[in-house]
Amino acid sequence: MKVVGVGAIGVSFALAAYCAASFAADAAPDISGTYWATSYSPKIQVLGGGDPPLNAAGKAAYEKNQAGLKDGSILDKARRVCVPDGVPRVLATPYPFEIFQVPADQVTFLYEMNHQVRVIVMDKPLPKPEALIVDPKYNGHSIGHWEDETLVVESAGFNDVTLLDAGGLPHSDEMTTVERIRKIGNQLEDIITIHDPEMYAKDWQARFVYDERNDVRLEDYACNDKHRDLSGVKGVQVR
Amino acid sequence: MKKAQPRVRRLLASAIMMGALSGPAALFPASAAEAPATGAPPNLDLSAPGVGWAGFVAPKEPNYAVARLFNDFAGPASGLGPVTDGPAHPYANNEVAREMRIPPTYRVADLDNASGKNLMPWVREALAKQNELVLRGRNGETREARCWETGVPAFHLNPGVMQIIQTPREVVLFLTGRERHIWLNVPHSANPKPSWYGESVGRYEGDTLVVDTIGFNDKTFVDSYRTPHTDKLHVVERFRLIDGGNTLEVAFTVEDPGAFYQPWSGTRNRHRVMNPNSRPAEFDCSAANDDYFNIGLEPVPTAEKPEF
Repeated sequence: MKVVGVGAIGVSFALAAYCAASFAADAAPDISGTYWATSYSPKIQVLGGGDPPLNAAGKAAYEKNQAGLKDGSILDKARRVCVPDGVPRVLATPYPFEIFQVPADQVTFLYEMNHQVRVIVMDKPLPKPEALIVDPKYNGHSIGHWEDETLVVESAGFNDVTLLDAGGLPHSDEMTTVERIRKIGNQLEDIITIHDPEMYAKDWQARFVYDERNDVRLEDYACNDKHRDLSGVKGVQVR
Repeated sequence: MKKAQPRVRRLLASAIMMGALSGPAALFPASAAEAPATGAPPNLDLSAPGVGWAGFVAPKEPNYAVARLFNDFAGPASGLGPVTDGPAHPYANNEVAREMRIPPTYRVADLDNASGKNLMPWVREALAKQNELVLRGRNGETREARCWETGVPAFHLNPGVMQIIQTPREVVLFLTGRERHIWLNVPHSANPKPSWYGESVGRYEGDTLVVDTIGFNDKTFVDSYRTPHTDKLHVVERFRLIDGGNTLEVAFTVEDPGAFYQPWSGTRNRHRVMNPNSRPAEFDCSAANDDYFNIGLEPVPTAEKPEF
């Protein structure tokens, strides 16, 4: 009987979600605003602990990247010539970013660092694989929809020149990601699932949390310029 | 396009109404920290879905006058205008070259016309040096083509499509990988941190968005002739819709007591383009912009080492 009861509650939740979804155009949850992480890790932290589940090809690519970053044969372009970081590295940014929900058919993430723009196209399918393959992007192509209070973002069509973190964690251009982004009080949480069978034995997740900081204005950012004070972000070692 | 006009007019009319209603709010400017988080965007809603503003739309027939403004300011109806080319070295941009079937040139500034004579000696010297480089076939690319932040008003020169997002707190201009923030209904900070695009504050005067910008660094040029300026640069831009809502006019005035004897003005019009896929996009300038042919190109912005 208990099981049936739980099922009934489930159904009513599902109904509520359905009703909420049907009014989504008028009542999309508001996650707009300015956000800023309070901590930074050069090595991406796997949700649940442990190391990313690299497969044999992934391990080889990781070792090659680590060695190349060390001896200079691989240029960290996101930090040297300020090209976009790529997903998920951009989520680790120690700089503020801003989210816009106008116009209503897109959610725009504007990052201060490298002034990256990520536009999440709402309630549309991803472009077809043949369209993605000829137009790869650092931050991929992203679509989104709301599931209750959570913005679910699917991304694909990444180029293969970015690193998943500052340490050189690799990915292939076949990578796809799903992010679940929601407000929790005055914080924003983004849990990302990385799917890249070419480099990883199984899917894995990372979690990023940011403080809402509507007192902060995004600033101009140019490579090699003097930028804002990051002393409030734990783990940043300005070189 | 024509079908869209009545809707634009209605929007504009309601915008003007809203402007009238929300006008007094401007008398009590909120600080940045108290920016309103909700409420309808004031006045002109320039961020309608699918709307972009193109700096250039190719005419059906070759048209020198139109092509000439591909990536240039138009001068004001009267008074001092921007630095221009002169009769000795007429400038042919890529679009002029394409339409008129002539070879393109780089820019050589006319230092002897009224706008040239308005430049203080150090600015004239800088431009004379640049002219000399260009005439030797070097450094003719614009700052923008070398992936640098463009500053104001040079920001407007890009012929591409500008997207606009407007919230109660700010207007954000997105133009080929560059963004500018215009903070609405707030006063300037007491000491703005010098920056590439300065500190822009905006307010609506009826249907015109008036943007006042100070707090620049001195690393940008005000135009594509590479006219330098000081950190005393002050730019006022007036954004409004004309031509039944199909043209976004940006009329601006530039003053800099450290660079120009008199203020000067210019205009840059952008054309309304509808495209459901017109959205701000990521930009990758510096990845493929080495000086492959060793023609004295300015280096792209590069950090000697990762920042963190």
